[in-house]
Amino acid sequence: MNELIPWLRLIAARRKRLINGALLILLTLLAGVALLAVSGWFITASALTGLLLAAGLQASLNIYVPGGSIRLFAVTRTVARYLERVYNHNTVLQLLADVRVSVFRGLTTAPLAVRSGRSGAGWLNRFTNDVDTMNTLYLRLVAPTAMAMLASLVVIALVWILGSATAALALAGLLATAFVMASVVLYVRTRRSAGDQVIQTEQLRQSTMGHIEGQAELVAAGLAGDARHRLLERADRYTALQERLDTRTGWHLAFTSALVQLASVTVLWFGLALAQSGHISGPVAVLLPLAVLGIQEALAALPDAFGQLGATVMAARRLNQQAGLHNAVVASGSVDQASTAAARSDVNTGPVLVFDEVRVGGSDGEEAAYRVQPLSLTLSAGDRIAVTGPSGCGKSTLANMAAGLQAPTAGRCELAGRQPARLPDPLWLTGVSYLTQQTELFDDTVRANLAMADSRAGDEQLWRVLEIVDLADLIGNLPGGLDARVGAYGRQFSGGEGRRLALARALLKPASLLILDEPFTGVDRATQDRIKTRLEPVLANRTLLALGHSPDALPATDRHVPMAVLDH
Amino acid sequence: MGVAPKTEPQAAVTDARRWLKSLSADARGPLRAAVIAGSLAGLFTIVQMGLMAAIIAAVLVKDQPIMSVTGWFAALIGAVLLRGLAQGLQTRFAAHGSARIQHEVRKQLLASWADAGPVRLMDTSAGTLAREWLDHVAALHGYFARFQPQMWLAVISPLLILVVVFRLDWLAGTFLVLSAPLIPLFMALVGMGAESVNQRHFETVARLSGFFLDRVRGLTTLQLFGQTASAAEAIRQRSDQYRRLTMETLRIAFLSSAVLEFFSSVAIAVVAIYIGFGLLGSIQYGPATELTLFSGLFILLLAPEFFQPLRQLSQHYHDRASALGAARLLLDRLQATRGQRPGAAPEEAPQPGPNGAAIALNGVSLTFPDGRPGLIDVSLTVPAGSITVITGPSGGGKSTLLHVIAGFLKPDSGTVSVLGQAPGRKPFGWLGQSPFLLQGSWADNLRLVAPDATDADIHAALNRVGLGRLIAGRPEGIHSRVAESGAGLSGGQARRLSLARCFLADYPLILLDEPTAGLDQASERQIIDALTELAHRGRTLVISTHHAAVLAMANQLCSVHAGRIHHE
Repeated sequence: MNELIPWLRLIAARRKRLINGALLILLTLLAGVALLAVSGWFITASALTGLLLAAGLQASLNIYVPGGSIRLFAVTRTVARYLERVYNHNTVLQLLADVRVSVFRGLTTAPLAVRSGRSGAGWLNRFTNDVDTMNTLYLRLVAPTAMAMLASLVVIALVWILGSATAALALAGLLATAFVMASVVLYVRTRRSAGDQVIQTEQLRQSTMGHIEGQAELVAAGLAGDARHRLLERADRYTALQERLDTRTGWHLAFTSALVQLASVTVLWFGLALAQSGHISGPVAVLLPLAVLGIQEALAALPDAFGQLGATVMAARRLNQQAGLHNAVVASGSVDQASTAAARSDVNTGPVLVFDEVRVGGSDGEEAAYRVQPLSLTLSAGDRIAVTGPSGCGKSTLANMAAGLQAPTAGRCELAGRQPARLPDPLWLTGVSYLTQQTELFDDTVRANLAMADSRAGDEQLWRVLEIVDLADLIGNLPGGLDARVGAYGRQFSGGEGRRLALARALLKPASLLILDEPFTGVDRATQDRIKTRLEPVLANRTLLALGHSPDALPATDRHVPMAVLDH
Repeated sequence: MGVAPKTEPQAAVTDARRWLKSLSADARGPLRAAVIAGSLAGLFTIVQMGLMAAIIAAVLVKDQPIMSVTGWFAALIGAVLLRGLAQGLQTRFAAHGSARIQHEVRKQLLASWADAGPVRLMDTSAGTLAREWLDHVAALHGYFARFQPQMWLAVISPLLILVVVFRLDWLAGTFLVLSAPLIPLFMALVGMGAESVNQRHFETVARLSGFFLDRVRGLTTLQLFGQTASAAEAIRQRSDQYRRLTMETLRIAFLSSAVLEFFSSVAIAVVAIYIGFGLLGSIQYGPATELTLFSGLFILLLAPEFFQPLRQLSQHYHDRASALGAARLLLDRLQATRGQRPGAAPEEAPQPGPNGAAIALNGVSLTFPDGRPGLIDVSLTVPAGSITVITGPSGGGKSTLLHVIAGFLKPDSGTVSVLGQAPGRKPFGWLGQSPFLLQGSWADNLRLVAPDATDADIHAALNRVGLGRLIAGRPEGIHSRVAESGAGLSGGQARRLSLARCFLADYPLILLDEPTAGLDQASERQIIDALTELAHRGRTLVISTHHAAVLAMANQLCSVHAGRIHHE
């Protein structure tokens, strides 16, 4: 349950809205209780007065106060309910945005090492389901629990004051049991299933995406039918879990309601006994059990919330595991505002980049295909160096280190004469333009994809870089030109076209150090040659670190450093 | 009524509603049982309230000692417990029915993905499709588990209560009758607006999830270009936009529940005041003179219960709205693929190719849905056991040609024969950019295509593609897990895993889409050796590539430029 604390704290930032919302809930509840109770009192009082009058006795009843109260409570309940709902849902959605943004910031400040090993499917899941699950915290959990308790206490106090302590005690006992059954007991009984459900959702989503992305191979092999069958079976197990959760929650709700009804029966018994012994009036004896019936609504809201608490805690735990999350909530914004000038001025004083006996490869299990001799390399301003080696030997790791995204497991890596204090190092990043091995394009326009490299770049500059990568004609012919959409995963373009677009973006960034990791993946030879020629003027004033499997798959460089593979 | 014109979205909503209705046929038994259990709960409620009123009247009016009504109290407790039992059963049956329906819908969707074929399927991001399959189907749960049974109960339970109230006092009954029909009327009016708003809401959620996946996948790039702050800001804006849209839905959705709340509150108030005055003797006409404390209290206690099922229905109204929104998107997906089966259309007779030809294309042309020409009058004969290499500039139509041979895309004109049949009829090997990875071990991944393969076979296949070393380095060998794409395997490794499957399975034909893109020379060599070995074994290979080393393997070389084939 401690997992929820950071989130409760985040929510508490909107304390005023939360309290206002809670008061509206309480008002709604109490108006409902009062409406029924006063009506019962009024009818009983009228009946008894009517009997006296019929018997010819003197009797009178103030009809205006109860009549007016009944109308007032009726209107209050309606209005308060509507306002409460609108107000509180608005609050919750504001909180959702808060949560989303702080989670995203947490991810962006986490070092690459924490992030790698998690897949896109997992990430998406975190951003949608987990954050949505946190949604239940205030409106479904905190507020109803607090309000159910408060409303119960009010009714118990009423029974104490108007009835007797014994009746109040009996009522308290039954309501407490109902409360515990609807909350703690249900939570304990559903904790595991609810947690499992969260985990299974993610696993199932990953499998589903794998199924979709690998569809071509499955269809070709004639295995698509089997794969579908397996996927459906897993979905059924997932649904069965949901069914069990639903059923348990349903039984607890039924049991809780029955307990509240029994509490009302008990209070009726005590009330009638008190009325018969002359301690209280008949109408009051009716008012009390009806008031108890009225709070059933408050307790009925609990099982739903506590049936899902297991999932909520689970989601919170996973969100908390994101490194840097807490820091991000506090230190948001400061990272990107770091002055760019400072980074630039540092760069030109000495060597740009020093690798000293840096060991790459073999650090992660999957890279263990090669053992590579530790690498020493110094890159001064204006140098153009090619580093080559077979795929899987750790070139990308080297590129990540040069960009200040990753630290070496052994050896020393100095960026502009210092070892970065934190990774990623935002100061260093401003002076580096890095084309990663993976082409990452955003589902947005061509313009937006390019402009992130240099927000001040005009159309002319954009066309110029597109010209260099030989995409100007293609994009010029697209409907919308620069405003044509790149599509999900950059799918509007072929692999090679997407690669070239990413290269154009890297070239656009006004940074002195350019790191290109396999810049020409999927680009045909003729186009490669054209691009290499056009690159020359752009590279003139820059420092270049190019990585690839062979020098001819890279732009022209001054120096070629093959990574020494010890055994292959 | 003519309030809402039958616009196009309105028609789509009607379709969605009809579809949902047709789905409930799949779980008629459990859903019916849920309604019966709910009706019984309503019946026991009437008994409970009657007993309460009778006890109060007996003690307060007839002055019977409270100990003489213990039997009635016992009956009252019995009624409360039976009511709880029926309530619990209602949830249980309904949850079961919903699970059955979700299974059915997921099955339909899987079938529609199969109909769409791998190429068209990838027009939509895997995240969106997975979200539809998991989350949108799950959004139907509330409709079947809560809304639909409640729709029946909202008719049955109030009718039961009306019968009782009319017998007690027809005037009070008339009050209830008068207020009741107004409720569905108002709810219908309010609901119409809510539906179209809700539809937009669903589309926003889908886009929002795509937006997240996209930004999160490209997190490294965002970091490299210092765009994390603006991306976080964009997420905040999107979330805010989502909040505004959702609030629009909710403000209206809550209005319908407010209408209900209003009528139920007012009806209770009116009934209470009418009964009170009747009992006082102030009303001298109609049935009021015959009111007693018993009948008066009984009616009062039933009044909230009369509206309770309707109130619950309105609480589940958002379940209906969510389900309708989800249903529309799901129905769109199902209809989009209907009647557009690619490739192996059943009416197509097999067209055997010329003697010894594994593949024969004759005058094949294909235009993409957006009007771009894909292939223009392409004819190609691939002899069995040969290596045919297709080259050409990226975007020229290499992949499209492979897709047609694979049966993933159906040509507009011309004939295609693969292994003497329509394409896609017989299993073949496919090696594309995103191999299918099962969440499991290496052995699981290979046994997918050859369930009877021994461990030795699997080792041999992995050695063939140069993955032997990697596997040997893992503690559990071929039984160690293959993580999801990107997490545990590089692109080249995943591709080689896919190639290992081709060795293991006895495919006569293997299609390869740029098998060596992005690989170093050593890995390229390994793949080429593996391919040569496959060709020696008499397999037919069709490879799209522009790598010189692969081109050199070709028995037959052709290039595709702007959709036209050139034989070389």
